[in-house]
Amino acid sequence: MTAVSLPSLLPLWIIAVPLAGAALLAGVGRHRRLLGPVVLGTGGLCLGLVVVLVMTVRLGFQPELSLMELVPPLRFVLRADALGTLFALLIASLFPLATAYALRFMADDSRLQGFLALVLLCQALMLGVAFAASLITLLAFYELFSLISYVLIVHERSPRARAAGLKYILYIVSGGVFILTGIILVYFLAADVRFVPGGLLDSGTTHPAALVAWICFMVGFGIKAALMPLHGWVADAHPAAPTPFSALLSGIMVAAGSFGILRVVFETFGVELLGRLGVMPWLAAAAGLSALLAGALALGEDEFKRRLAYSTVSQMAYVVMAAAMLGELALVGGLVHLSHHAFIKAGLFFCAGLIVTVTGYKHVSQFDGLAQRMPATAILLTLLALAMVGVPPLSGFVSKWLLGAGLMEAGGILPLLVLLLGSLLAAAYLWPVIFRIWLPGPEPNDAASHSEQAPGLMLSMLAATAGITLLLGLAASLPGLPLELARMAAAAMIGGGG
Amino acid sequence: MVTELFDLRPVLAPLVSALCALGIVLLGHHDRWRITLSLAAAIVKFGLVWSMLPATLSGTVFVFTAGEILPGLPFAFRVDALGMFFALVSSTLWVLTTIYAIAYMRGSHALRRFFGFFALCISTTVAIAFAENLLTLFIFYELLTLCTYPLVIHSGTLKARRAGRRYLAYTLSGGAALLAGMALLYHLTGSLSLSQPGLLDPATPPRLLLTLFVLLIGGFAVKAAVMPLHAWLPSAMVAPTPVSALLHAVAVVKAGSFGLLRVIYNVFGVNLLASLGYTVVLAAIAALTIIVASIMALRQDVIKLRLAWSTISQLSYIVLAACLLTPLAALAAVIHIANQAFAKITLFFVAGAIEKRTGKTRVSELDGLGQVMPWTMAACTIACLSFMGVPLLAGFITKWYLSAGALAAGMPIYVAVMMLSTLLNAAYWLPIVYRAFFKPCPDPDLSRGEPELLLLGPILACAAYVVVLGIGAQAPAMPFALAESAVDFAFGLEVSRP
Repeated sequence: MTAVSLPSLLPLWIIAVPLAGAALLAGVGRHRRLLGPVVLGTGGLCLGLVVVLVMTVRLGFQPELSLMELVPPLRFVLRADALGTLFALLIASLFPLATAYALRFMADDSRLQGFLALVLLCQALMLGVAFAASLITLLAFYELFSLISYVLIVHERSPRARAAGLKYILYIVSGGVFILTGIILVYFLAADVRFVPGGLLDSGTTHPAALVAWICFMVGFGIKAALMPLHGWVADAHPAAPTPFSALLSGIMVAAGSFGILRVVFETFGVELLGRLGVMPWLAAAAGLSALLAGALALGEDEFKRRLAYSTVSQMAYVVMAAAMLGELALVGGLVHLSHHAFIKAGLFFCAGLIVTVTGYKHVSQFDGLAQRMPATAILLTLLALAMVGVPPLSGFVSKWLLGAGLMEAGGILPLLVLLLGSLLAAAYLWPVIFRIWLPGPEPNDAASHSEQAPGLMLSMLAATAGITLLLGLAASLPGLPLELARMAAAAMIGGGG
Repeated sequence: MVTELFDLRPVLAPLVSALCALGIVLLGHHDRWRITLSLAAAIVKFGLVWSMLPATLSGTVFVFTAGEILPGLPFAFRVDALGMFFALVSSTLWVLTTIYAIAYMRGSHALRRFFGFFALCISTTVAIAFAENLLTLFIFYELLTLCTYPLVIHSGTLKARRAGRRYLAYTLSGGAALLAGMALLYHLTGSLSLSQPGLLDPATPPRLLLTLFVLLIGGFAVKAAVMPLHAWLPSAMVAPTPVSALLHAVAVVKAGSFGLLRVIYNVFGVNLLASLGYTVVLAAIAALTIIVASIMALRQDVIKLRLAWSTISQLSYIVLAACLLTPLAALAAVIHIANQAFAKITLFFVAGAIEKRTGKTRVSELDGLGQVMPWTMAACTIACLSFMGVPLLAGFITKWYLSAGALAAGMPIYVAVMMLSTLLNAAYWLPIVYRAFFKPCPDPDLSRGEPELLLLGPILACAAYVVVLGIGAQAPAMPFALAESAVDFAFGLEVSRP
C-alpha cells in the first residue's frame, strides 16, 4: 500500500507549537509560576497534534508541505511518512516527560527558564528532523539541534561539563562536515537530494563517489548514533548534562543518528544498490562489535549515568545492525527497539536523577539498600532494568524478540548470537544495580541526604515511563503504537517505490 | 534576449556619492549637514541601484557612454547582471555602514575628511561595478586605492602611516600590472570591452596569453588578497572599524574579486580558459590561501586580525570557485560576494561595537560578553555559524555550490578543501561564541547594556540578512536570480539550470 500524499499544514504546526512555547518561555521572563503551564501546555498540545497525525498516517495518508526552495533543487520540504511519524511520536511523548521532570529536578536553578526554552527549541528542531523529506532539510534541522544540545550539555558550567561539551562539539561539528560531504556527493550523482522510498540513487551506478558518500554518511550519522569507534562523546556528555537532558540525549537524540542512517540507507541508497556495493556486512560487523564492546565497557563503569550511557551505545548499535541486514523484518525489529528503548532509557535516567536528588549518590557502589529509603523508585528501577535486559512481558522483550526474529531471517545465526550475548551483558551491567538497591544497606547517612522523600512530580514522570514500558510490553500491537507504525514504515521503505 | 537601453542611472549612481563628497567638503564643518548629506546620498544611491534591478532581471542592460578616452575605448558604463550584483551588495551595505560610521566616529578628529573620502570610496566602487570596459574599471579601481588611503591612515599614528604606505605599495604595484595587462590586451584585440563572454581570440600565441593572464590576474589578486599578495590586508587593520568593514567586506577586496571575475568571465571567457588550463594553478593557489589563512586566523588573538585573516581565506573561496569553470561553482563565486560581505561586516560591526562599549579588542577578553550585550553577540553568533556553513545561513549556499561545482569539474580534492576549511572556520569562530556565552564575565563592573542603537541597528540588520540570504535566496527580488543570469551569460547558457 502506498501512502496518499496530502498537502497539509499539520507537520508545520507540530513544529511550530514547541517553537511558540520556547518564545513564550523567553517572554514570560522571571514568572516562575508560569513555567510549568507553558511547558506542559505546549508539550501536551504538540503531543495531541502528533496523535492526530498518527491517525492520519494510519489511514494511509502522508501529510506533506513544501516550504520553500533554498536554492534549486534544494527544496525545504516537510513530509510525515510512517517512519517520520513514528519518530515524531517518540519525540512528542518523551519531551514533555523530561521537561515536567526538569521542573522539579532543577527547581533551584536560576537559569531553568532558559534551559526549558532551549529544550523546547530542541524539540521543535528534532520534529523537523523527523519530518524532513530531503537530505538538506534533515541536515539543517539536525545541525541546529546538535548545536543547541551543546548549550544544554554545558548547562551546569562546571569544568567537567565544559570538557564534555568540548568533546561533544568536536565530534558533532566533524560529523556535520561528513554528512554535508555525503549530501554533496549524492547531489553530484543524482542531481537531487530528496528521500525516495526504495532509494534515490540509480541502483546500477558504479561511480566510486557512491561508496565515498556512504562512508561519509555512516561516519557523520554514526557519530550521533554513537557507533563505535565514534562514540567518544557519549560517556562524557551524559553524566555532565542535567539529568532531564541526559534522558532525552539517550532516549531520542542518539536515536536521531540511527534515524539518519535509516533514512540514508533505505531512502537514498536503497537496498539494491547497497546490496551490490557489498558494504552493509561491514556496517553490521561494526554495529555488532559496538554492541558487545559497549556492553563490556558498561560493566566497568561505577557511575550510574556513565553506565547507562554505554548501555545506550550498545542498544543503539542493535538498531544499526538491524538496518544493516536490509531485511524488512529486521527493520521492523530495529525500529521497535529504537522506540521501546527510548522510554526505558529515559526512565532509567529519571531514576538516576531521583537517586541523586534524594541521596546525592551517583555511583552504583553507593546504592546499597536504597530500596528502604525510596521503595517506589526502587520498584520502578527494577522494572525498567528488567525491561532493558529483555524480560517478558516488558517492552524490551517484545523489541528484542522482533529484532531477533528479523536478524535470524536476514542474517542467520551470528547476529542473533550478538543480540543474545548483548542481552547477557545488559543483564550483567544492570543486575548489580538491582542487586544493590534491594540489599540491606548501611544506616542512612544524614549528612549526605538531600531530601527525605522522592519528589512526587519526578516520581510520577518515572512512573509514566514505566507504565509505557509495561503497556508496550503487554500490548505492543495496539493500533497507533510503535509496532504498527514500524511495520508501515518498513513496508514503505523496502517494499514500496522500488 | 538582451536589449540595451540608454539610461542616466548607471552614471548617476556613482555620481550621487561624488556630489555628496563635494557637499561634505563644503559644508562638512557642521555635524548636522555632514550626517544629512552622507545618509541622503547613501539612501538615494541605494534607491537608484535597486530601481534598476527589475529591468536588469528581465534582461535589459542600461548603458551610458560619456565619450571616448582613446579611439575604441569609451568612458562608458553598462549595467549587466554581474555588475548589478556587486553594486547591489555595495550600495545596500553602504547605507548600513554610513549609519554605523556616524555613531562610531562621533567625536573623532577630521570628520570632514573622513566622510568625504568615505563617500568617494563608494562612488568609485559602484563605478567599478558598472564599468563597461577595463579602462573605465581601471580608472576607478585606482581612484579607489587613493580614496581609501586617507581612511586607512585616519588616526595619523606612525603605525597607521606605515600600514598606509604598505597598502599603497601593494595596491599601486597591482595597478601597474593591470595597466601593462590592459596595454597588451588592447594591442591584441583592439578593445577592452567587458560586455561579452570572452574577448580574446583562441588563436593568440599562448605565450602572450599567459603573460596577459599573469598581469591581469596578478593585478586584481592584490586587492583580492590572494597569497602571497595578501600582506597589506592584516596591517591595514589599524584603520577605524567602519573603514575596516568597508575595506574587508565591501569596496576594496570585493573590487579585487570582482575584477578577477571580469577577467575570467569577460576577458578570457570560460571556454578559452578551460582549454588553456591556467586556472588549475590559480585554483591550487587559492585553495592553499584558504587553508593557510585559516590557520593564521586561528592564531590571532586580536579580534580584528582574526577577521582580517578570515577575510583572506574567504576571498579565496571566490577565486577558487571562479577557477573551477563550472556553472555551479561560478554561481558560488558570484553569490559569495554577497554572502561573505554580509557575514563579515556583521563581525566587524560587532568588533567595533565591543570596542566602543567595553574597550576590549581581544578574543581572550570576550568572556561573558554574551550576558553584557546579548543581542550583539547573538548577531555575532549568526555570522560565525554562517562562516561555518551551517544550513539555512548564507555561508551554506556558497559551500554547497562550490563543492557541487568542484565535483562537476572533476576535482573532488576541493570538496575536501571546503570541508577542512569548514572545520578550521569552526575552530576559530566557535571560541568567540563560547567565551561570550559560556564563560563568566571577569569584570563585575561591566553592567548589562547593548551599544547604542545606531551601532546595534546595522549589526542586527546585517545578521538578519545573513539569515535571509540563507533561507530566502529564491524569493523574488533577491540577488540570487542576478547571480544566475550572470552565470548563464558567462557560460552561454540560454536556459537556467533545472
